[in-house]
Amino acid sequence: MSSEMFSPGFSRIVRPDATLEKISGGHIFTEGPVWNNKENFFVWTDIIDNKIWKWIPGQGARIIMHPSGKADGMCYDHEGRLLVAGWSSRTVWRWEHDGSTTVLASHVDGKKLNTPNDIIMKSDGMVYFTDPSNGIRNVGMEGDDVQKYVDYEAVYKLDLSDGSLTLLADDYINCNGLCFSPDESLLYINDTARRHIRVYDVLEDGTIGNGRLFAELFHDDHGAPDGMKVDTEGNVYCTGPGGVWVTDPQGNHLGRLLIPEDCANFGFGDPDYRTIYFTARTSIYRMRVEIPGLPTYPIPGISD
Amino acid sequence: MTWEFELIDGPYGSPTDGPVWDGETLLFTAVSVPSNTIHNKIRRFDPRTGEVSDFRRWTNRVVGLAFSADGILYGCQSGARRILRYNGDGSASVMAYKVDGKYHNQPKDLALDSKGRIWFADPVWGPPVVGGLRDYELAPYSIDYRAVLRIETPSRDAPVKRMTFDTTTPLDVALSMDEDILYVAESSDEPGGKRELRAYPINVDGALGEYRVLHSFGADHRGVHRGISGMCLDTEGNIIACAGSEGSGPGPMIYVVSPTGQVLETHPVPAEPSNCGFGGPDLRDLYVTTTAGHLYRVRETGRQGHVLYPKVG
Repeated sequence: MSSEMFSPGFSRIVRPDATLEKISGGHIFTEGPVWNNKENFFVWTDIIDNKIWKWIPGQGARIIMHPSGKADGMCYDHEGRLLVAGWSSRTVWRWEHDGSTTVLASHVDGKKLNTPNDIIMKSDGMVYFTDPSNGIRNVGMEGDDVQKYVDYEAVYKLDLSDGSLTLLADDYINCNGLCFSPDESLLYINDTARRHIRVYDVLEDGTIGNGRLFAELFHDDHGAPDGMKVDTEGNVYCTGPGGVWVTDPQGNHLGRLLIPEDCANFGFGDPDYRTIYFTARTSIYRMRVEIPGLPTYPIPGISD
Repeated sequence: MTWEFELIDGPYGSPTDGPVWDGETLLFTAVSVPSNTIHNKIRRFDPRTGEVSDFRRWTNRVVGLAFSADGILYGCQSGARRILRYNGDGSASVMAYKVDGKYHNQPKDLALDSKGRIWFADPVWGPPVVGGLRDYELAPYSIDYRAVLRIETPSRDAPVKRMTFDTTTPLDVALSMDEDILYVAESSDEPGGKRELRAYPINVDGALGEYRVLHSFGADHRGVHRGISGMCLDTEGNIIACAGSEGSGPGPMIYVVSPTGQVLETHPVPAEPSNCGFGGPDLRDLYVTTTAGHLYRVRETGRQGHVLYPKVG
């Protein structure tokens, strides 16, 4: 069985007979899953193995960057360039079309960032990323410098027009995954250590307010809040004990997709956005679901 | 001579360790769990002002500290299973952490030699790592023994060599003045485990020969006697070793053991000592850390410390 229902509403999320398919293996610590909806392929990172991978349906997986600075979360910008939460490199960077890379953020108030973990772009081009510090504490994930300089674990807004960082939240033990609601009126951020998801109102100026507890993910199984996405109906998918938990917009747990390895992240993909690709330690799995996910970036012309 | 233990700082309620003298001040580690609490620091005691301040913060359970001959500080980051070099610009660099392609365990204490090689005790020690791959996931990528290891040059790409093949719980290492003997604290608290101060000859080819046991710790009706958790040397070549507990045996104690294994002195300590190191302008004061988080100083030790750095005239 590949899913577990907590509430009847879960039957709209995934069919009981949906199965999990492994599409790639032999990795160490996979993360950063993103579907490219322009050319129909899937990319992910392997933090410890220091690589970025690309998987094309029918063709398989190949390495597209090594070393990768032990990169972590990724998303696409409006021009189809990867924005990368650089984790061990302690930067946020962009992979340009010509193959070069551009550092977009490295310091805040003159101090080196912690280890940027996950990253999203709003439709207006603003970048939001989490900057916990566990990248400098985790075995095998270190970069050149493992001293922590900033006193907090923060969530930032990055304005690419001038490179400025705005501190959005600094009261996390381990901020990790983040995603907007479909209309971008809400921002969800999770805290791995506290095992919870918070939700904020997105304000006119792109900052956030009215933060409140959205859901808690406690269970005896292994796993904790990490990667997080929403579907087109606003249901929140978040890694947690045993796999990926699905919670409705009101905060009710509907069920979970069961993954046989610790799942750090996942992304909706395929042209109809009804396949979830899971980055689960050594493997990449996928599963069909019933409600489409949100495109990871708004490429004009994408079919609804 | 009775030693007087002067309380300098603490108790913090979680262990202190790694006391080393930098020439002017005493550095020591404050270790606690979880790793991001305020007590995870390298602290600095300045005897001229009496002040204790932060030297490094967010240290993620750094335990033992040691200087290289040229005065660069290294530490055992047990929380992330690696040796760090603390650079002058405030950054921290990771030293090589794989032996034959596999991760080593949780370094606890270390000693550098005049060639710049880093010898360290690598037990499975303290709480498991937090975050990333957990210990059970790391196991297939990790060595399956607990030994003294040696990083051949202080860099991230250096080879790491296994030096001992007969240890199960090495907690500390020290090098004799001539660097021809490696002292190892083998300190298993398992039933049937050994708690020994060992002297391994260092052969000309750099490998270790057969060890001699200089001192061993027993057990009584209350349990095993806690073995050595930290040690340093004096200029006569004696080993100053922290051992013992309230729970069994003769109690929390500092032993002074000669290179031939004669116990020259024993000094009861007010709390369970974790480690010790000489300091003061002429290295005649002994600083003692404890498992409860004290920093003590003994002024009239009648002994002078031997360290690789700083040089004392």
